[in-house]
Amino acid sequence: MSYLELLKLASPEIVIVITALVVLAIGLVTGHAKSSATISTAKPAHTVSHTSIATGICSVVAALGLAIAIGAILMLPQSTTLFGGMLVITPLTRLFKIICIALAFFTVLLITSQKPPPHLGEYLALVLFATVGLMLLVGSEELLMIFIGLELLGLSLYVMTAFDKTDVRSAEAGLKYLLFGSTSSAFTLFGISLIYGMSGTTGLAAISEKLATASVQPLLAVGIVMTLVGFAFKIAAAPFHLWAPDAYQGAPVPSAAFIASGSKVASFVVLGKIVLVGFAPMRGSADWHAMTAGWSPVLAALASLSILIGNMVALAQSNVRRLLAYSAVAHGGYTLIGLVAGGRDGFAAALFYTTIYAVTLVGAFGVVGLVRRKTGGDNFSDFSGLVSRSPLLAGCMAIFMLSLAGIPPLAGFFGKFYLFSTALHASANHGLLWLVALALFGSFISLYYYLLVLKAIFVNEPSLPAAQPFDRLTPDLVQRAAVAVLAAAVLFLGVMPDVLAARILAALP
Amino acid sequence: MNSWIVTHLWLVPAEPFAASLAILSVSNTRRKSAAALAVAGQIIALALSVVAFVSTLQTHGFRAVQNFTWFTFGDQTLRLGFVLDPLAAAMLVMITVVGLCIFVFSVGYMAEDKNFTRFFAYLSFFSGAMLGLVIANSLLLVFIFWELVGLASYLLIGFWIERPSAAAAAKKAFITTRIGDMGFFLGVLWLYDRAGTLLFYDNGRGCLEGAGLAMLGASATFVALLIFCGAVGKSGQFPLHVWLPDAMEGPTPVSALIHAATMVAAGVFLVARVYPLFSLGAISGVTSSLTVVVWIGVTTALMAALIAIAQADIKRILAYSTVSQLGLMMVSLGVGGVAAGIMHLLAHGFFKALLFLGAGSVIHGCHGEQDIRKMGGLRRFMPVTFMTYAVGMMALSGMPFFFCGGWTKEEILHATAHWPPSHVPYYLILVGVVLTALYMTRQIIYVFFGNPRVAAERAHESPRIMTMPLIVLAFGAILLSAVLTPAWPWLHGYLTGEPTYFDVARLIQPMLFVSLALVSAGVGVGFWIYRKAGTQDGGRPAEVDPLEYAQPALFRFLANKMWIDELYARTVISFSWMAARLSDWMDRYFWDGLVRGFGAIGQLFGIFTTSVDERGINAGVDETTAGARGLGRVMSTAHSGQIQTYLGAIAIGMLALLLLYAWLA
Repeated sequence: MSYLELLKLASPEIVIVITALVVLAIGLVTGHAKSSATISTAKPAHTVSHTSIATGICSVVAALGLAIAIGAILMLPQSTTLFGGMLVITPLTRLFKIICIALAFFTVLLITSQKPPPHLGEYLALVLFATVGLMLLVGSEELLMIFIGLELLGLSLYVMTAFDKTDVRSAEAGLKYLLFGSTSSAFTLFGISLIYGMSGTTGLAAISEKLATASVQPLLAVGIVMTLVGFAFKIAAAPFHLWAPDAYQGAPVPSAAFIASGSKVASFVVLGKIVLVGFAPMRGSADWHAMTAGWSPVLAALASLSILIGNMVALAQSNVRRLLAYSAVAHGGYTLIGLVAGGRDGFAAALFYTTIYAVTLVGAFGVVGLVRRKTGGDNFSDFSGLVSRSPLLAGCMAIFMLSLAGIPPLAGFFGKFYLFSTALHASANHGLLWLVALALFGSFISLYYYLLVLKAIFVNEPSLPAAQPFDRLTPDLVQRAAVAVLAAAVLFLGVMPDVLAARILAALP
Repeated sequence: MNSWIVTHLWLVPAEPFAASLAILSVSNTRRKSAAALAVAGQIIALALSVVAFVSTLQTHGFRAVQNFTWFTFGDQTLRLGFVLDPLAAAMLVMITVVGLCIFVFSVGYMAEDKNFTRFFAYLSFFSGAMLGLVIANSLLLVFIFWELVGLASYLLIGFWIERPSAAAAAKKAFITTRIGDMGFFLGVLWLYDRAGTLLFYDNGRGCLEGAGLAMLGASATFVALLIFCGAVGKSGQFPLHVWLPDAMEGPTPVSALIHAATMVAAGVFLVARVYPLFSLGAISGVTSSLTVVVWIGVTTALMAALIAIAQADIKRILAYSTVSQLGLMMVSLGVGGVAAGIMHLLAHGFFKALLFLGAGSVIHGCHGEQDIRKMGGLRRFMPVTFMTYAVGMMALSGMPFFFCGGWTKEEILHATAHWPPSHVPYYLILVGVVLTALYMTRQIIYVFFGNPRVAAERAHESPRIMTMPLIVLAFGAILLSAVLTPAWPWLHGYLTGEPTYFDVARLIQPMLFVSLALVSAGVGVGFWIYRKAGTQDGGRPAEVDPLEYAQPALFRFLANKMWIDELYARTVISFSWMAARLSDWMDRYFWDGLVRGFGAIGQLFGIFTTSVDERGINAGVDETTAGARGLGRVMSTAHSGQIQTYLGAIAIGMLALLLLYAWLA
């Protein structure tokens, strides 16, 4: 293995790291110029144009870097393994690296150019570093490397959450996220070390071989549960979800979108690999009358708790972002059902669902961001009468909410359909029926609160009499276009689910 | 080039759909951009249609399909696809050309309307749905677009939603066609059950190809008849024709686009598309399903032609003539003249759009008046409209030589004359031809000849944006006849895949003279009867129709549309009302009582648990039973934001999971 070859195989990650450094540099240079410009207050117009050009350059460079990284992924060989699973390239990792980068791309687009956060260069660099974390997570089958990916992702996200220094909520959310995240990381690391102790290896395939012959020991159970706790935190499954509402509500909108989308997708990919490959022999059963110990009843418990708590608490919310946070908990629960069902079909259904969900949520956060900029808030009252102010945004939000509720012909419907039907067929005698029934009950409840959002948008009178109609052709154009593209994607994937579903299924071994 | 258009055929309907979405997302004050988007979408669709059409000219009997998997469910795969063959290509070109003319016309006609942008969004949506329908290679895809077409027509008929009559007409159109669609959908399901595929053409495995048809066997008759139910609804055939005349409540361009040129054509197109299902096991070209088609068609053609004679609304006359012509096309399909039927469909698309737009121009010029008895003498005020309308009238009446309708009608007569089971349809159609010439002559005399009456006094010619499409369509209606003549039946050969060659001798046929004589008779009798229409004549007052004066009872019977609406109101509709009232009563008293009963049990249980709660557990808990929202609020308070609590929750959660693991082990 020559280093040149390594450079070639890790080229997507390297491209993004270099882009991050470039963006950081541009940000530092122009940030300096900006501070000197603001001193001469005699020419405010000049200042505005200068900063907007600088932020424009940063965003364009970042977007370009992400696009090049996708190109680099397409150039990679179909499958290779490096350093005993530290870095693997399979159709699955290729597909999900592309999906993660695409989600990051849309996150970058959502960053406003009209009123950018200060130090945009640093912010973009953080988004790009977090993206590298996602790619490492997706592209590794080795517990240590996965942990490094988790930490790289986590540390970037903590800072991204606390990035809005003018907002006390943002700081609070960032701190909570950090404390909660580091505690969970500690659990995970401890769990990984226990697994290592039991099996003598950190490669997933090797762990699976060792565990197949090992006797069930309490220490192993502790290791498995502790590892799962770390991921339950990442995917915000109850009862490890408590950071999510604050983070979703307090963080700057693009950060929240990224936490809800990219981070979740990558976590599900790697969680699926760990439980379905690494812990395969310790599966157990979550069937109603035939429960046996293993990770599958643990995940089933997490799923059912998430569905119940997420949906119930979302009912009582009056803030759209908090509502999305609790609904995210519920959706994490639905997705876990796919992993509980297991097998190639179950994994594919879970991955399909989480991808659809991520796309929908990035769009929903895009709408929230645009509304927030106009009204300064994101409570239901700020959404009142959105349809008369901006029919496009209202229509897009309707698509996102109805897709989350699982209404055909939107993507969310097929996501749920695949998930639940696979779970029903997963075991003989429909052993997982109880979980599916619970999930159906949950989605039934969820329709109520999603419709509350739509009621505010379409039925309620605008609460702000002075609310101006959205200006046309403002610098928001990019954000609006991004939201519209995402809405179109949700509609398209609902009409033609096989475009994505067949690809995911084909990518799984 | 060829393969590109086949694989990208979906782009044709995608253009108008995209235009529609774009129009809906701009503000309703941007009228110019809305119209520009709609017209641009239509122009691109037209260009692509022409490319598709040209590529089908390469070989005789060209057919290319592009199938894809919609979704996989277990081991079942649902596949959809698009097909490009002469039938689809000819329809594409006709729809886009006629559509474009109508779009341009609408820019002028709807200029004053306050919902101008919404109108163009709907119009584009309709055009996209119709284009999708003709290129669909799967009965399911046809059904999907079929319903989209129905939805578009519902929205457009009820476009002037503030008029109660428009709202009622929209509902009537939607519900009546739905009755037919129910049969259609049953046919789709039955076909899937038998043939295992809904693709028309799939390299020999489609449901219209050898193997698929062989699997159908005897059930083909029932499947075909069920599909025909849908066609009856959409194409306004007896007994589901009642919605079409009422649909004239929509703006006139809508009438032209939907209820003349394209949407009602969908039914005829569908029968032509699945013709192998109808003709499966035919003995000398006759099957029971085709016989049904013939008789329904004949009944419709004759009945509608009779009713048209006694109507006074300019658009209603055209509506009934549409119903009548569609019946004629059905007859042609039923007797085996598929190419003749489709040729008449294409020609009809041109001249009927021309007539409707001409009627729109007349209505526009007369400031919204639609009663032909109040018009008169308009040929002096609206010369362009008059000339083009006359071309349309000649084509519809079936005047041979220069007007496309003449040649196609002659082909239909030719096909019908040699139908083995019976000659009755042939003679009835001959009567229909005379009647058509008669009522069109009546209309043109009332509108354009004689002295100007109330509504015609301040009439004016329409702006150029409205007359230009008329001229284009009039030339189209004349030029189209060049490829229809028996001397050089190019279109016939194109549709059937047979080679065509030029032969002047075939131009002179007995059928030509029969046709010419009948049309001349119709026009002549019309001129004689109505020569003094609209003026006082002997004992007849000016506002009374000459025919009404001569035969008041018969005229009243026809003017009231043979009381079919009244018959339905007394039977089907009143039955539905009774059923609805019965269900309402059941709902109110029986089911509601049942639910209340269960509710009471629940309440009793609630009272019981509350008392247990209050005594057994502490008093604070009963708040959580106040319903899901209350429960949510209580749970929400647990999420206090205290990080200490949160971190504690991790530990507790993990311990609980460990206990679960240990307990199961």
